[in-house]
Amino acid sequence: MNQNDLIEFENEIANIYEKGIIRAPIHLRSGNESQLIDIFKNIKKEDYVYSTWASHLHSLLKGVPINVVKDAILEGRSITLNFPEHNVYSSAIVGGTPSIAVGTAYALKRQRKSGRVYCFLGDMGFHTGIAYESIKYSVGHDLPITFVVEDNGKSVGTPTFNTWHIDTYYIYELMCKMAHGSKDVRIEYYKYESKYPHAGTGTFVEF
Amino acid sequence: MKYIDEVQKGMDLLGSHPKSIFIGQAVEYKGTALTHQVKNFHPEKLLELPVAEEFQAGFAIGLALEGYLPVSLYPRMNFIILAVNQIINHLDKWEAMSVGKSKPKVIMKAVVGSAHPLDPGHQHKANYTEAFKSMSTNIDVVELIYPHQVFDAYQRALDTDKSTLIIEHGDMYK
Repeated sequence: MNQNDLIEFENEIANIYEKGIIRAPIHLRSGNESQLIDIFKNIKKEDYVYSTWASHLHSLLKGVPINVVKDAILEGRSITLNFPEHNVYSSAIVGGTPSIAVGTAYALKRQRKSGRVYCFLGDMGFHTGIAYESIKYSVGHDLPITFVVEDNGKSVGTPTFNTWHIDTYYIYELMCKMAHGSKDVRIEYYKYESKYPHAGTGTFVEF
Repeated sequence: MKYIDEVQKGMDLLGSHPKSIFIGQAVEYKGTALTHQVKNFHPEKLLELPVAEEFQAGFAIGLALEGYLPVSLYPRMNFIILAVNQIINHLDKWEAMSVGKSKPKVIMKAVVGSAHPLDPGHQHKANYTEAFKSMSTNIDVVELIYPHQVFDAYQRALDTDKSTLIIEHGDMYK
């Protein structure tokens, strides 16, 4: 899928949502399409993707058919899209997936399988203790895992910097220093600004 | 019939499963009563983890998704409270979140700390069985009080496709 396909997908979901058809919160993203397309160029079919509550685009780029993603959203599952047949899992809890992702990466390495785990984290999720523990364990055991920090500067409406008073990029650099000796662990970071609010479209029911 | 003998039979049963792996604190190294229960297993079945209870619970789910049967050990029930996010918000909800397509199976064991002959005080001997039963929808929560309950509970935990939290009493190990 290209950038326009991803943008059009989210726009279509927004339009459907505003008609009151979806009886659940939806989590739309924009402004990160090109970064995600670059990251997913390296992600293979057998790889695992662990994502957050905002996982429409991750699911599409992992290869889940458009109609399958769309149906799941229309059924009210935007907040936790899980497609086990494509090794795509997500959690609506901040910091919910990193430890699970590490367990899978450990299992892949132990079984000498070729797959790799990609764990996407929002900036507030990246600041959590469980994210730090998960990255640290992965580095220490040199696991086949990539952590991707998706920094839009906030969690729901709370500005991440205003609460921690430490820049997310600075923490990213610290984590990269920690991972420097690892052959297999990678940490990626990108910054973006979404036109959509945390949930919904900003013009319909607030979650 | 002694409680601890039945526990050992149950642990040996889990240890005989080809994909079981015992994770937690003091499984590879001495430290708690649970160490004795795994000491005869092949070293490859044992994985010592850092003291990071939530991480341990999530790690177990990740192992299960790749085909392992994790047996996640918490030597004091007070400490499993730190793992509730992964146990209740994730493991317990996983099947529903994936519309029945994915059902990682984890066997967890927590021990209510013994109070005799040494009383460890307020933070090491709590029994939160009823709280876990109340929070869990899809995890079998089984408290083992009598010796005759023990082996059947382990057998059920192994046979079922559900995750199970086994709760034992340290005072019964004697």
